[in-house]
Amino acid sequence: MIALGWLVAMFVAAPLLVVIPISFSDAVSLEFPPPSWGLRYYQAYFADPRWTQPTINSLIIATAVAALTMVLVTPAAFALVRHRFGGKGAVNLLLMLPMVVPHIVIAIGYYAFLSDIGLLQSFPGVILAHTALSVPVAFLVLTASLKGFDRTLERAALSLGAAPWQAFLHVTVPVLWPGFAAAALFAFVQSFDETVVAIFVSGATTETLPRRMFDSIRMQADPVIAVVSTLLFGVVALLALAAMLRRRAGG
Amino acid sequence: MDGAYLEIRDLVKSYDGKTRALDRVSLSARRGEFVTFLGPSGSGKTTTLMVIAGFEAPDAGLVRVAGQSMAGVPPHKRGIGVVFQNYALFPHRTALQNVMFPLLMRKVPRAQAARKAAEMLDLVGLADFGNRHPRQLSGGQQQRVALARALVFDPTLLLLDEPLGALDKNLREQMQLEIKRIQRALHVTTVFVTHDQSEAMALSDRIVVFEGGRIQQDATPLEIYNRPRTEFVARFVGDSNLLRARITDPGAGIAEVEGLGPSRVLPQQAQVLPNGQGTLLLRPEALAPAEADAPNRLVLAVEEVVHFGDSALLIGRAGGVTLRARIGGRAAQGIGAGAQVPLGWRPDAAHLIGA
Repeated sequence: MIALGWLVAMFVAAPLLVVIPISFSDAVSLEFPPPSWGLRYYQAYFADPRWTQPTINSLIIATAVAALTMVLVTPAAFALVRHRFGGKGAVNLLLMLPMVVPHIVIAIGYYAFLSDIGLLQSFPGVILAHTALSVPVAFLVLTASLKGFDRTLERAALSLGAAPWQAFLHVTVPVLWPGFAAAALFAFVQSFDETVVAIFVSGATTETLPRRMFDSIRMQADPVIAVVSTLLFGVVALLALAAMLRRRAGG
Repeated sequence: MDGAYLEIRDLVKSYDGKTRALDRVSLSARRGEFVTFLGPSGSGKTTTLMVIAGFEAPDAGLVRVAGQSMAGVPPHKRGIGVVFQNYALFPHRTALQNVMFPLLMRKVPRAQAARKAAEMLDLVGLADFGNRHPRQLSGGQQQRVALARALVFDPTLLLLDEPLGALDKNLREQMQLEIKRIQRALHVTTVFVTHDQSEAMALSDRIVVFEGGRIQQDATPLEIYNRPRTEFVARFVGDSNLLRARITDPGAGIAEVEGLGPSRVLPQQAQVLPNGQGTLLLRPEALAPAEADAPNRLVLAVEEVVHFGDSALLIGRAGGVTLRARIGGRAAQGIGAGAQVPLGWRPDAAHLIGA
């Protein structure tokens, strides 16, 4: 059984890991195993503004999406977890909708909508479209951590002389901080690796990294893609490792 | 009301519009008094506490603290210290920072707040634990921090909501003494909520017994124990023998008691009993091994003996009713199931409750 498990894990993980050796290849196109080794594609990636600019674009967009998502999701999560009101079920469903609707449908919808209001191929346009996709994920994460929050902590803060906003700032936010951070991180990642909607709504100056990668592989199997993949993989692995170490240190 | 520091009048609260969680609850407390709300869960004791703290709004009635009406005053402006059942310490702050919190909210300069918080931690015996986070403290220590935090800002009132429920027995008794000591030292008017009658007896200047959203009795611990007003109070506080009684001669104080036959009771109690009908309360320790002068006697056919060391509980039958008698540990030596033990009780050791 354990052997079978390893086999499945290998089968799933191998394609993820195969990009790492390819990124250190010297070959002119994507090839595995690499015929010879070198760092020329790393050089190509960092030197070429056609790669660095989309990377910067993606970082800008993902950061803005994370911020905007939190601004929208925080009050929504508090309202839906803590209060009863008419149409609560409908609001919940509406918030989760972008998760169920196929991305291509959303992409076409945003393409039409953003071109009507003149935001197609602009930063605000991409940010808005990505935020819609990030909201359900961030909402789920934040709702889960909010449900586990002991409200007597807030009552205690009030009884000790904190106004409601002070109780929120000094007690609720710090205690829920890991939940907020996780929600924002999910929103960031959701935007950073989103491709379908980006292909439709981003333009020449707002091109995102996944879109650039998609275009690149369509035209030529450029090994720089393997470099980008390896770098992304490395960043994510580092983040996960840091989170694990922090949890262990925190006890 | 003269001398009333905390005054509660005619509180009514309903959550569903039908059943009343609080049904015209009125009580008062003098400055520095230690009052316990005692009752089973759902009796209204915690709801009353939450109304005083401002977390629940009553449908009707008023709460006054130091002469000031609390109507419309939000919790954070009441200046009332609350210790919650689960302590509700802020997990991201150290013990010292927890205790500093109410001072910082009152804009006390940080250095001064730290000094005062440290003094308060010292008072609760945690001088060396200021830098620990709540998760690094034991239950009893967390309890002390919560107490220090609720007291450090000189609250008008201290409210404690079943604060000892989560602690084991020895620690609970230790904390009872500790709370009493601190309460006396600071002379802070205190309301303590519990369902544990022995805790209520040990701590309180006065006990208010709640049941079904109403106050059953409001009196000193001894008064509650010796002269409960209702059968509920008699059963809830302490161990009891409750026997139907009918007054046959009010003047002489003679009652026909279920299973015990004609018995002498206190005439002044017999005379105020409505319709001459009621219930006789005999605390187990009122049934003593017969003395020559005991006016009421019986012989207990012992069925079971429970030894506590310092005392023993005899459970047996007399005249067709089951009775419980608590006698000294020494006197109980040699008594076993099947023994016939002569016992007696004095009229002033019994209490008549109106039917």
